[in-house]
Amino acid sequence: MQPIPVEPDGAVSVPVGDQGFTLALPAFEGPLQLLLHLIESRQLDVLSVPLAEVADAYVEHLSRHPVDAANLSEFVSIAAQLIFLKSKRLLPSEPMPPLPEGADEPDEEELRRRILEYRALRDAAKVLGEMDGMAPAMRREPREADLPEIASEPMPAAVMVAALEALAAIPEPVAPPPAVVPREITIGQQIAVLRQALSAGGRVLLQTILARCRSRTEAAVTFLAALELVRRRQVTAEQHDIFGPIVIEASAGEARP
Amino acid sequence: MTEQEGPLDLGAFYEALLFIAERPLTTAELAELGALPRLQAEAELSALAERLEEDERGLRVQHHDGAWQLVTAPAVGARLATYAAREEARLSPAALEALAVVAYRQPCTRGDVERVRGVDSDYVIRSLMHRRLVVEVGRRDTPGRPVLFGTTFTFLERFGLTSIDDLPPLSSDAAQLTALTESVEPAAADGE
Repeated sequence: MQPIPVEPDGAVSVPVGDQGFTLALPAFEGPLQLLLHLIESRQLDVLSVPLAEVADAYVEHLSRHPVDAANLSEFVSIAAQLIFLKSKRLLPSEPMPPLPEGADEPDEEELRRRILEYRALRDAAKVLGEMDGMAPAMRREPREADLPEIASEPMPAAVMVAALEALAAIPEPVAPPPAVVPREITIGQQIAVLRQALSAGGRVLLQTILARCRSRTEAAVTFLAALELVRRRQVTAEQHDIFGPIVIEASAGEARP
Repeated sequence: MTEQEGPLDLGAFYEALLFIAERPLTTAELAELGALPRLQAEAELSALAERLEEDERGLRVQHHDGAWQLVTAPAVGARLATYAAREEARLSPAALEALAVVAYRQPCTRGDVERVRGVDSDYVIRSLMHRRLVVEVGRRDTPGRPVLFGTTFTFLERFGLTSIDDLPPLSSDAAQLTALTESVEPAAADGE
């Protein structure tokens, strides 16, 4: 057969260094791809071409373009099949030696079927390649904020009650005291002070109680407390002169105020 | 569904349901939500899918492996891709070949892919799995129990298909050969 350039589309030979060493990048990934290319580049019909005719070109290509080790056995296997087919054609009258048990007959039809199957899927791959991303269908993407669905089981009532009780048992936090606590004096407190004083003898000089007060406010409140007791008619107050001593006396009937 | 909605609204119900769903819904889920027997739910969904296509609407129903989802129509996909600024990294010819074998022969093993291509395909299948175009769908009941691969919704989305049946037909030679291959050597070379 005429030697025909067998570089497929995109095959690159890269010269390396001054010695003219050429690095052939892997162009044919598989033996079927190579075989199909050899047939198609000669414009032969895959369905009818005697595959033996391609044997020389195949072996020739293989000798000039080493393939990577991973797929070498596949290339060699196809080469062996092609050479076998060619040998059968060269010696048509020779009876076939019996095949060892379990071995596959490298039948031409079998190989042709593989080529055709490969071609169909290679062509489909080309169509897919054209479709790839050209007119994609898009779907709704899950929103990131969505929480994963959690299978919700009703909580047992006993657990809820226990949880509520535990919650109720927690004491209110004590408010921390402010830095400065204003001293608070109420009329009620000072009434108690007056009654305490009255409890001894039933009468008391108001000025002596006021003298014990630590602030003007306390004195004023104590005075108001005395007035309050007067209003309630629990005590009576007597003052003979302006600014004179005020005598507080428990009312008759108020046994112990 | 409330009581006053009649059976005529089921198509609309399913359309709306698939619209809000953010994942493919299974036929079983859709049947339950529509309070329908599975077969009837499937018929409703198929009818919905046909209506969307016939009316040339902007949406399509995708159906794969017993699940359904609503997607944009391929006809508007390219313009939508501009909007979404979605640029898929192109697949290598080798990856496309392996993907084609899986797509047309699914479920199939790595051995099946290698037999068709005549080359070691471990790496390409891994890369297809990484891109979620191909997933493991089970194991074949043959010695070694090799992993079976199938295509995914991502595959359908990327290639703008509504289902596997939507794939462009293989050349007729190959169709006959496939039938022949399957009858002659069922699951022959499954060396995993």
